[in-house]
Amino acid sequence: MAEEHAVAEPVVEDIGESKSESPVEEAPGNNAASEFIAELTGKEVIVKLTSSIEYHGLLQAVDGFMNITLQNTREVYDGKLVSEFGDVFLRGSMVAYIAAA
Amino acid sequence: MPQPLDMVRALLSEEILVKLRNNRELRGTLHGYDEHCNMVLGDVEETVFSFDDNNQIQKQTARSDMLLVRGDTVILIRQ
Repeated sequence: MAEEHAVAEPVVEDIGESKSESPVEEAPGNNAASEFIAELTGKEVIVKLTSSIEYHGLLQAVDGFMNITLQNTREVYDGKLVSEFGDVFLRGSMVAYIAAA
Repeated sequence: MPQPLDMVRALLSEEILVKLRNNRELRGTLHGYDEHCNMVLGDVEETVFSFDDNNQIQKQTARSDMLLVRGDTVILIRQ
């Protein structure tokens, strides 16, 4: 039983590595959101919330809800620095956009 | 791939600050959370910010031994 699992694993890795031939996946811009996030991870970003408050910091992680963690964060409102703190978690439902700084 | 909620897990049993909608903040010890950001906090101080008659920011505080925060009001979590 355990051997069957061991055989299945490399197949999963293969799908991740190779380019898919499906026309849907190759449509330009289809993966734009996740590619953009992957590009920005570890870089300086601006996250604006629906309340117009911005958080500037190093993008650490994003999930499917658009929950975001930032490192070395500055809270900015109306172009002015409000406060600074280390790591923050931002709930995805409050996010208006993520932009490269 | 690191997940944003990993940071919240790392804050378990730490004192955290939670910013909520409607100008509220909670400071307390994180006892538990879920994927909606519902959170159980202990030894909590709630602060409500408002403007007084002179347009100055006014703070009202309240204390609670233990409470459950509904996740949909959460804006931000930090230490």
